[in-house]
Amino acid sequence: MKWARLKSPWVLHFNSGACNACDIEVVALLTPRYDAERFGILLEPSPRHADILLTTGVVTRQCADRLKRIYEQMPEPKFVVAIGACACSGGVFEGNYNVIGGVDKVIPVDVYIPGCPPKPEAIIDGVVKLLKSIEGGKQSGKR
Amino acid sequence: MASADKILKALSDSLGNRIIQTRTLQPEKTYIQVQTGAHRDAVKIVLEQDKEAGVSAITGVDLGETIELMYHFRTCGTIITIGAEVPKKDAKIESITDIVPGANFHEREVSDLFGVTFEGHPNPKRLVLPEDWPENVFPLRKEVSVANIPSKIINSEVSKGEKQFSSEERLVNIVLGPQHPALIEPEKFSLKVEGEIVREVEPRIGYVHRGIEKAAESRTYLQDIYLVERICGICNACHAACFCQTVEAIMGVSIPPRARYLRTIILELNRIHSHMLLLGHAGLEIGYETLFHYMWRDREPIMDIVEALTGNRVVASFITIGGVRRDLKEEDLPKIKAELAKLKKRLSFYKSLFESDSTLKMRTRNVGVLSKQDALKLCVVGPVARGSGVNMDVRRDEPYAAYNEIPFNVITYNEGDSWARLMVRLDEIGESINIIQYALDHLPSGPYRVRVPRTVQAGEAIGRVEAPRGELFYYVKSNGTAYPERVKVRTPTFANIPSFVRIAEGGNIADVPASFVSLDPCFSCTDR
Repeated sequence: MKWARLKSPWVLHFNSGACNACDIEVVALLTPRYDAERFGILLEPSPRHADILLTTGVVTRQCADRLKRIYEQMPEPKFVVAIGACACSGGVFEGNYNVIGGVDKVIPVDVYIPGCPPKPEAIIDGVVKLLKSIEGGKQSGKR
Repeated sequence: MASADKILKALSDSLGNRIIQTRTLQPEKTYIQVQTGAHRDAVKIVLEQDKEAGVSAITGVDLGETIELMYHFRTCGTIITIGAEVPKKDAKIESITDIVPGANFHEREVSDLFGVTFEGHPNPKRLVLPEDWPENVFPLRKEVSVANIPSKIINSEVSKGEKQFSSEERLVNIVLGPQHPALIEPEKFSLKVEGEIVREVEPRIGYVHRGIEKAAESRTYLQDIYLVERICGICNACHAACFCQTVEAIMGVSIPPRARYLRTIILELNRIHSHMLLLGHAGLEIGYETLFHYMWRDREPIMDIVEALTGNRVVASFITIGGVRRDLKEEDLPKIKAELAKLKKRLSFYKSLFESDSTLKMRTRNVGVLSKQDALKLCVVGPVARGSGVNMDVRRDEPYAAYNEIPFNVITYNEGDSWARLMVRLDEIGESINIIQYALDHLPSGPYRVRVPRTVQAGEAIGRVEAPRGELFYYVKSNGTAYPERVKVRTPTFANIPSFVRIAEGGNIADVPASFVSLDPCFSCTDR
């Protein structure tokens, strides 16, 4: 099981209020130049099949419930990667009236990838670091 | 063809003393303030004079005791603004949605953010703010401060309403989103289907609403550039350009010629990368993954050019008030030209693919048709309008940056289906390459920015830019300090939202994702 998870982590992408910049870089990961599939990473449309949740953007008031629900629908063990300054801390939108803040205000986060937006290389690096720590026995939801 | 002067004359002739005041915001942009109630007649006169006029935006401004509503109409290559004031305590005004169906969503937005009731509106529901938003708190009113808004309680339970069947038994509710593989962004579309056929569509936006218009009021003009660039990561340069040129119009600053050309180059690079992204995404949605990978592979050199020019891959941070931040390095020129020439060759391959490939044809021809009448009625913009035969392009109608000196064609197709919208974008990539090549060959020498003061004199201005998705509209009001009084952004996808409903209704449910993608939705733009 662990071997399979390490060799082919299925990822789900959810945008909880991003400006699209991080999102297009996440999609760029799958395309020929960056080709994240060489690590077995597969983008998965359903939370029920996913191992890793890639989140982008601040959490808006309207998305917070949905983000929580998607996280709860994912099977254990599950890991969360916060991509971009907004997902890490709220970024430029921190303190706005419709914004709750970074993703870790709502669900536990395992890897933070800063940048506005981070380059695709940085995102790959973050996910690979997560895989390494899973290999070392990392449990979901714990630092 | 009507002219703006003729419309203004007709307005002053027939409204007479119901006009309170007329002022010119900036050259050729007239503002006519009428008595509350006369605004409907004024709108009718504008539409009678110019059949192709459309509502660009409805701006609300908090004036203290009253709320000023501005109906901005695009007509004859300019903007005519009709204004009316309503008292804050009893904010009510008659809706214009029955005259201009395209005003529907604009009115709902103003109603959410300013608490103005539009009497006679067909669907006065919440649009932008979340369902659990406190009653009677209208965030864009000046007296509302962010600290006083109650914090949210997170509740991840499934609400009962979403799984119910429709009251009419033959219709079944299908909810598309907020998390859906076809929409990268969270937005919800409730479809009512009968068998395979979509009968009703109810869009619910606001999932990405971050309150940028309010945040812009508490930041300086320079900080606001960073903020507006992050309204949308895809067309960030257009937001920066539009904001800066609006502020420059208030200041009365004209930027050096080299800066105008450099702005044109980055805006067109932005357009190429956005269109290629969309065409690839469309390939993914119609089940043609090879096209997605081809398009995104060919898009990467454009990202490299953006990085060489601006230092950033996606969010350029290139345009600033008074010009641009960096100069083009001479040693990069040959590489940029070579990459553009290479992409141009690839375009002819894509063009033949789109014209002959049977998969593409079957999924896009005669699917999601938007007629020219509907496009005008719903006031859609950009490639969606041009795919339905509406000949509009801000770059030609009201040139900014260096577009008045560079020759280019406006692409239109008359079919109005998904295929036509994709073809408009494909052909526009070719035009954009020509524009960049021309701009590189004719790049004037000299400084690339002028220094401007940090405070902006009191005034107001309107700015328009042709973003990849269509007309982008900014209204900025300054009160003489370093902080703007009001920043209004109307993004292209917000104007195109009514067309989502129109193209999906009566179509097959399996075509919904593909035809939505052909409209190139950008919801982070829509919600702000």
